[in-house]
Amino acid sequence: MTKHLTLRTRTTAAGAVMELAGDLDHHTAPEVRDALPGLSLRPGGQLVLDLAGITFCDSSGITVLIAARNHAMAADAAMALAAVPERVARIFRIVGLDQVFPTYPTAQDAEGAWHIASG
Amino acid sequence: MMCATGDPADSKGPAGDQGPADEDARFSELLEDSAEDLYERAPCGYLSTLLDGRIAKVNATLLDWLGYERGDLVGRRHFSDLLTVGGRLYHETHFAPLLRMQGEISGIALELKAADGSRLPVMVTSTVKTGSDGQPLLIRTTLFDARDRRAYERELLRARKEADLERDRLKLLNTTLQKTLLPPVPANVPGLDVAAHYHIASVDEVGGDFYDLFPLAAGTWGLFLGDVCGKGAAAAAVTSLARYTLRAAAVYNPDPAAVLNNLNTVLNHEYNGNDPRFCTVVFGLLTPDPQRGGFRITLASGGHPPALLMRADGTADYLPTPGGQLIGVLPDAHIATTTVHLAPGDTLLLHTDGLTEAHTTSAGGEDRYGDDALLDFGRGLAPTTASGTIGAVRDLLDSFGTGVDDDTAVLAIHVPRTTCEERQ
Repeated sequence: MTKHLTLRTRTTAAGAVMELAGDLDHHTAPEVRDALPGLSLRPGGQLVLDLAGITFCDSSGITVLIAARNHAMAADAAMALAAVPERVARIFRIVGLDQVFPTYPTAQDAEGAWHIASG
Repeated sequence: MMCATGDPADSKGPAGDQGPADEDARFSELLEDSAEDLYERAPCGYLSTLLDGRIAKVNATLLDWLGYERGDLVGRRHFSDLLTVGGRLYHETHFAPLLRMQGEISGIALELKAADGSRLPVMVTSTVKTGSDGQPLLIRTTLFDARDRRAYERELLRARKEADLERDRLKLLNTTLQKTLLPPVPANVPGLDVAAHYHIASVDEVGGDFYDLFPLAAGTWGLFLGDVCGKGAAAAAVTSLARYTLRAAAVYNPDPAAVLNNLNTVLNHEYNGNDPRFCTVVFGLLTPDPQRGGFRITLASGGHPPALLMRADGTADYLPTPGGQLIGVLPDAHIATTTVHLAPGDTLLLHTDGLTEAHTTSAGGEDRYGDDALLDFGRGLAPTTASGTIGAVRDLLDSFGTGVDDDTAVLAIHVPRTTCEERQ
């Protein structure tokens, strides 16, 4: 029943963008967790998780997003979400995470917002 | 009898200067010499019987295996006499008829009974020899020693049994562990009808759903229902911690938001970093309302799906607690509360999202049951009772079959109408 998760990371001026596509659940969340230590984040930088291709996100998926946030915070960097699909946004609203992650329509918008904020 | 096959080959090695012609001669000599010996000392048993099964010829290998003299068998015994009781039955009902029909039968596992009573597993192949006129004359049978094979099969079977046993033990452990996370029977609250159900999605992994209903001071009652992220032993540990923290915190200060704040603090201290653990919980404080009848309930939600209120008048609505945040990973999680009056005839349903996230098409479709469908379900049910609600939810879960891929906990409370209200 579970589909694969594809994970791509790229480095940007702000820090890193992680693009996720597929189901983010009990089976695939560890893949994302394992990729976190490899990200290059500097103090004042930003980690963006691009969720455009996410088809499903359960509580394990939410856990790994929080782990990503903890990872960014530990590096004194910020974390933002981009292109959150409506069904995932609905879960975020139920669990109150919509107030925790700054959310942008695209990864580019998240990047732009960081450039403005960091002058 | 001398074993002629070995000698020429052995003598060939040291005498390396022998010509090719010499070697050919030795080779043909070897072939001619060995026909009888090959039969007698073959690495398998040979047996020829008449059509009625009487033994006509038997080789030395088989006699050795069984510990018989040639005279014990030839002309005196039938092939089936050499078999165990079970083997004889099989021979009678399957082996012999098939052989008559097909003219041959191969690879049949049987057990022979040796002269000393011991048993010898063999693989048996038989063919019917016919004369020039096509009439069957006799039956030729080869028998291969299957002791190694049988031992191997027994070992496989034993390993498999052990694995099955191990699996059963794990299932039992998981089920037991699950039960310790739930109250054995819902508490008996005066003036309130309570029912609950826990649906286990997989017996291989402990789920993280939990609920409880328990007395607090001065006629008030606490209740909670929640869902810890993840599965397995790690999730069960959080579930256990959450359960006992909630009960202890409620005794200390029964204000629902304060109870969840306490749980948030405890979980934040315990779990953080790369392996965060959180839960979503609804905590309710039930207070009897002597003036209006029924109860007043204050619900605090930490990121949990809203409770469903099915009223006496047949309407149903969610009780939203917008802004409430999941418990355990944010240092200052916001807890949202709402207070409603539960009138006689009203029923309140708390659930975990295993219900609303269930696949409605078992063929792995994308359709999940959803909040809207559950609201419609509640509207169809109202007015109802606690046991009526839980019964209907169980039927609903059954209809999803394997589509329920997460554990699901449901807890319903209902204020029964008094007899005079029913008359009105």
